[in-house]
Amino acid sequence: MTPLVSIRRLKLEATTARGTAHILRGIDLDIGKSRILGVVGESGSGKSSLATCLVRLLPANLSHVSGEIVFDGVDLLALGERAMNAYRGTRIAMIFQDPMTALNPLFTVGTHLVDVLRRRHPGMPRDTAEGRAIAALSSVGIADAALRMASYPHQLSGGMRQRVMIAMALLVEPDLLLADEPTTALDATVEAQIVSLLEDLRRSFAGSIVFISHHLGLVAQLCDDLCVMYGGTIVESGPVDEVLGAPRHPYTRALLDCELDDEAAGGRLVSIPGEVPDPVDVRNACVFAPRCMHAIDRCRESVPALRGAGPARLAACIRWEELAATAQQGNGT
Amino acid sequence: MSAVGPLQGARLSGERDAQRPSGASTSTASPGAALVELAGVSVVFDGRVRALDDVTLAIGKGEIVGLVGESGSGKSTLCRVIMGLTPPSSGTVKVGDRPVGEQLAQAPLAFRRRAQLLLQDAVASLSPRMTIGRTLEEPIAIHALPRAETLTQLAAILQRLGLSEDVLAKFPHQISGGQARRVGVARALLMRPEIIVADEPTAGLDVSVQGDLLNLLLDLQRELGLTYLLVSHNLNVIRRVTGRTAVMYLGQIVEEAATHDLFGRPAHPYSAALLSTNPAVDPRKRVQPIVLQGEIPSPVNPPSGCRFHTRCPVAQPRCSTDPPLLLPLDGQRHVRCHFPFSLDRRRH
Repeated sequence: MTPLVSIRRLKLEATTARGTAHILRGIDLDIGKSRILGVVGESGSGKSSLATCLVRLLPANLSHVSGEIVFDGVDLLALGERAMNAYRGTRIAMIFQDPMTALNPLFTVGTHLVDVLRRRHPGMPRDTAEGRAIAALSSVGIADAALRMASYPHQLSGGMRQRVMIAMALLVEPDLLLADEPTTALDATVEAQIVSLLEDLRRSFAGSIVFISHHLGLVAQLCDDLCVMYGGTIVESGPVDEVLGAPRHPYTRALLDCELDDEAAGGRLVSIPGEVPDPVDVRNACVFAPRCMHAIDRCRESVPALRGAGPARLAACIRWEELAATAQQGNGT
Repeated sequence: MSAVGPLQGARLSGERDAQRPSGASTSTASPGAALVELAGVSVVFDGRVRALDDVTLAIGKGEIVGLVGESGSGKSTLCRVIMGLTPPSSGTVKVGDRPVGEQLAQAPLAFRRRAQLLLQDAVASLSPRMTIGRTLEEPIAIHALPRAETLTQLAAILQRLGLSEDVLAKFPHQISGGQARRVGVARALLMRPEIIVADEPTAGLDVSVQGDLLNLLLDLQRELGLTYLLVSHNLNVIRRVTGRTAVMYLGQIVEEAATHDLFGRPAHPYSAALLSTNPAVDPRKRVQPIVLQGEIPSPVNPPSGCRFHTRCPVAQPRCSTDPPLLLPLDGQRHVRCHFPFSLDRRRH
């Protein structure tokens, strides 16, 4: 099946006082139709930049953008601003991390919802749009939806605002929904409500979702596929259970070891020695080599390609076969 | 500021005790040796916001106690009460046998040395107009510490924390979040405190470095006999690091138990729901999350009876009228619920 989105050789650079910052260093990624793709990585790994590329809401200080983002046969990076704008809020929608600032404080919930609907379906009568907006609010678990249409954002709690954001995104029925850490700003029990809502919605939603998170447990629960980013590159991708169950890249393995998971107290806590890569560095070696416990001289000689690592899996490590064999032996005996 | 001398009265010996389970040493502290004691503490703001309501908690010397709960549950107010930054409206707060208010009135500087706070936003807790060196040397004048000796100690602490001396010449905006955290820890340790109250010490840290900071806090606790109150949203951190945990909801402690027991089988329905919201990476370990309805009510007008009854999946008629007390259960834990263990977690 052809993927909905094919990203090839995507590079993003910005000019800073310290030199050229390489924000994305050549990304190759497919997003399957009706799949939920989790994107994980630490701060500075480029995961949010990747999402903003997909809607082309890029910061103004970029000095270089290259590569292609083919969305349903059209290269988004080659489009003019007007043509790109026709995709935003119609075929591509986004849920932002902070529901406090993503809604306009001067407009009611109803205005937000009706506006996105009439943008998607110009000519839809106002009362039809209002009816659908109320139904959407109910479907995301907002009680008294008809009354809430008249509320302003400041009158809603954080959880309610994020529900409104999700309702807005779903009303559009986008082919691609981008969710950038949609639960990070919420409290634990409210986060659980939103996650459970997203799980329910994935059954009725036909589009693809890119779910950006730093929470591996959440991604494991919600997503079909996983893409692990580090220092502006993708180091590993594949079906989520396989990637987390038997990681092919040492960075994925190290991240899982740091996760603490639900183990009880005991022993030392794991960390990854060293520091995250500097975006200004020019790179001609494996991005993770300076912190990798398996790095050998060959890892420092050239940038490893993202290559096949099992069915539907990719990893950017020249040693994954040997390391996987060793891990297998360790588990088997 | 060049010689690295030993830290007097406190050996900082690195990897010693590496095999010892981190939480085990802390759960055995006898209640008789409490360093911090809160009895019936309430804090009312503006005469109507009950930020803390009848909080009773003892922290033994050398213990690591965790504090969990959602925003608005009173965690930060509890930290501020222990630090003497917010006076209790009623009840008593003691640190080391004497009320905090009395110590602050008689010898404020001595009390400030005794209890140190690690603030949640480490970068913002450092003055943007002072170099790290000036910030760290400021207490020498304020507390009239012997200068040469303290600077020698500071060098030893910096080395122990893995901070190079270059950092002293920098301003807060020139260092990383992880470095700012460690500067905060250095500033606290220089006072040789008895208790450190750490408000979200790993918030905003990447997972690859959070283990470093927690290992450091654990090493220091063992080497210096420190006592910690650790506030965190990260349940995995609480589970790994603390010996005992208190769960707060709407200004009250609803359950307090050995961390192992609490995570193994929470007694209060709110604890059960909160702990179930933490999805595990391993599908075999995943539990069905208990999804609560609604959101935490306003402390201005808290629900009658049990404060949790409006969201409790197993509430009974009695819960809406009859406020439960924080009572001992099985001699191991304290629970504020008429029907403990009524909400059990189910595995997938």
